[in-house]
Amino acid sequence: MRADIPMGIREETHSRSLPIGNVPWRPRGAAPPFRRRRGQFVRWAIGLISLLLFGLFVWPGGSGSSWLGSGSEDFQLETVRYYDLSNVQGTAKGWEREERILICVPLRDAEAHMPMFFGHLKNLTYPHHLIDLAFLVSDSKDNTLAVLEQELNAIQASTDPSMHFGEISIIEKDFGQKVNQDVESRHGFAAQASRRKLMAQARNWLLSAALRPYHSWVYWRDVDVETAPTTILEDLMRHNKDVIVPNVWRPLPDWLGGEQPYDLNSWAESETALALADTLDEDAVIVEGYAEYATWRPHLAYLRDPYGDPDMEMEIDGVGGVSILAKAKVFRYGVHFPAFSFEKHAETEAFGKMSRRMGFSVVGLPHYTIWHLYEPSIDDIKHMEKMEQDRIAREKEEKEKAMKEQKMKESFGDATGQWEKDKNEIQNLAMQENKAGEQQAVGQQQEAPAGGPANAAPKEEKKEGSQ
Amino acid sequence: MPRPLGPGRLRRTNPITIIVGVVLFFVIGYLLFSSSAPDFSAARKATAALHPLSPPTSPFRKSGAGGGKAGPPPVTRYNLNNVTITNDPVANRENVLILTPMARFYQEYWDNLLKLSYPHELITLGFILPKTKEGNAATIELQKQIAKVQKNALEKERFKSIIILRQDFDPPIPSQDESERHKMANQKARRAAMAKARNSLLFTTLGPDTSWVLWLDADIVETPPTLIQDLASHSKPLTVPNCFQKFYNPEKKAMDERPYDFNNWQDSPTAQELASKMGKDDILLEGYADMATYRALMAYMYEAGADIHTEVPLDGVGGTALLVKAEVHRDGAMFPAFPFYHLIETEGFAKMAKRLGWQATGLPNYKVYHYNE
Repeated sequence: MRADIPMGIREETHSRSLPIGNVPWRPRGAAPPFRRRRGQFVRWAIGLISLLLFGLFVWPGGSGSSWLGSGSEDFQLETVRYYDLSNVQGTAKGWEREERILICVPLRDAEAHMPMFFGHLKNLTYPHHLIDLAFLVSDSKDNTLAVLEQELNAIQASTDPSMHFGEISIIEKDFGQKVNQDVESRHGFAAQASRRKLMAQARNWLLSAALRPYHSWVYWRDVDVETAPTTILEDLMRHNKDVIVPNVWRPLPDWLGGEQPYDLNSWAESETALALADTLDEDAVIVEGYAEYATWRPHLAYLRDPYGDPDMEMEIDGVGGVSILAKAKVFRYGVHFPAFSFEKHAETEAFGKMSRRMGFSVVGLPHYTIWHLYEPSIDDIKHMEKMEQDRIAREKEEKEKAMKEQKMKESFGDATGQWEKDKNEIQNLAMQENKAGEQQAVGQQQEAPAGGPANAAPKEEKKEGSQ
Repeated sequence: MPRPLGPGRLRRTNPITIIVGVVLFFVIGYLLFSSSAPDFSAARKATAALHPLSPPTSPFRKSGAGGGKAGPPPVTRYNLNNVTITNDPVANRENVLILTPMARFYQEYWDNLLKLSYPHELITLGFILPKTKEGNAATIELQKQIAKVQKNALEKERFKSIIILRQDFDPPIPSQDESERHKMANQKARRAAMAKARNSLLFTTLGPDTSWVLWLDADIVETPPTLIQDLASHSKPLTVPNCFQKFYNPEKKAMDERPYDFNNWQDSPTAQELASKMGKDDILLEGYADMATYRALMAYMYEAGADIHTEVPLDGVGGTALLVKAEVHRDGAMFPAFPFYHLIETEGFAKMAKRLGWQATGLPNYKVYHYNE
């Protein structure tokens, strides 16, 4: 390269110093036009080439290949990643420090709840680009997967960039679940232990496939939450606890009281329950909300005061899984949802227990409430059917009654006229009698006590007649 | 002598320009070629992630090459029903994640790793290092070696992806010295920290594609090159080779071998009785004279010349070299950083795996070697 430049210069100077021979006269020192142009061309070319080469040395890789127009097919790979986990500890104001949060949603036959869930998701006020989403679709027989993918693609294709989320993973894994998902079998006592273990397994598969070294927070959310504040992530994060859950209630029809505590898995440990746990065998699982295990634990759900301070905290030992915010380091250090009996508990309740075992803070907010969808139980449905039947029966009865009245009116309609006629006659008769009576009364005033009853009768008659 | 003028002279200088042009062409061509040389084949690119926000077990496309502003990350589907775990992982193209908690960098460890015959394009490496002076030095050395392999080595020697993590907690004891490390009083805190490091590494790197996890300590300096294939051929949930150490035996005046990892054991009634008398937070330890457990140690089950594929069931495992089916970890089996049935870290892991229905298997005659300081 370097040798080229002096060569070019030498040539130029040489040509300029050439003696002028049989060529037409030109001003001294001026080269012929074509030679002048050639010189300029050579200088330009050399300049350009050296600039290019310089450019290649300074910006290797990317700009070099794009300059050649090698297109997007020819991209480079990055195979090494470096992360400092002390940068992802999770703080009270994660959104200001650009802390990434992973939202985990386990799904099974949840197609019906999708529109409601995505409504909540889109409305979250936490910056969407800091939210990574992970869904586990397992043993689903309905169209959950297709609807999910379609909704997510629509969000990422949105023209509003503030709607776009970060990494989105849909994970499919079937566990060969034998337990039905309908409300009755889901909440039956006998099915609880194995159901909770299977749920735990699903949660662990989801988390272990989706947690990354760049996550500061993990938020677990059930798909069937009906009402929750859009600021829920920030609201829970502000408390800066390792594990935190809100209170979960559900609305009810009026005949059932209007509302009801829903998630009974968030509780503080009691002596009774600890004593009970000691009597059970290694694989037993204590489940809350069933008469079989009277634990006398204080439940977060029952401590709700609708007018209480929503920031009030309560230390708890077991947590419910409807809506859990946890620092990612809780999961990084190994806490998970035991799919075996851990301290006589499984899944989210054992997650709370294990978190406590590892010295993490586990907190519930008794007066900060989100609302779970109300799905009537079979008893409720039966009751409602009965109510409906009663209603129909009552309506029928009323209708019949009205019909009867109508009929009565119709069949006795002529009698009314007759009755009026008779009445008038009787009235007239009574009036005449009255007149006669008055005349008699004037004459027999002294005998009044004796004539009292006789006097009273026509009066009553008159009264009747006027009615 | 004056040279002729006119077109003749122009013709004579033209070849020089052409030669310059040709030379430049080759120079540019060479530069372009050499800059694209460290990149990967189409087959590897096809499996790469589209966005840096992706499972770290896969490489991702460097931004800038495509030009323009990158869009939001795509919606990605992973079907874990299709992630196979078989006794022939090479034929089934199963991804292996090799995880190493590292406090010191040993060149012998790295060299041994490079010698593994399992297809490197199916291997992801994960490291976690403490943020101490020692850890920083190890990180720098590790990065130097990684750059050498991932940028300049032949493509078949380069690994699929490499993750380096720095620990978010301080090591409980300042020194990594052999004597300090093995003091009984330090064991619980040390192994709890080790458990946290292992879990941090595992649960952030496992991702959706991994079939096998090979735990390989940073001081394992010699293994058969077919280590992964050999252990996987047993198709057991947890498979542990026997960890030995080579040393100079002054009595024999020659190199000799001795058993090293005593955490691979079968439980004994004595140990269970000891445990039943312990407080909730106490742990049983192996290899200490003042706590005789009478467990059957795999370290002493080695028989010279016997079948290397002999299997024994185990109740506790060590982590020096340990092959685990990814589904065991996915089910939640982790390294307890707290006393779990009076066990901690890798031994607690074997117990937890058992509670989840996964049994550990030891290969007493299959040897790997620990560094000797």
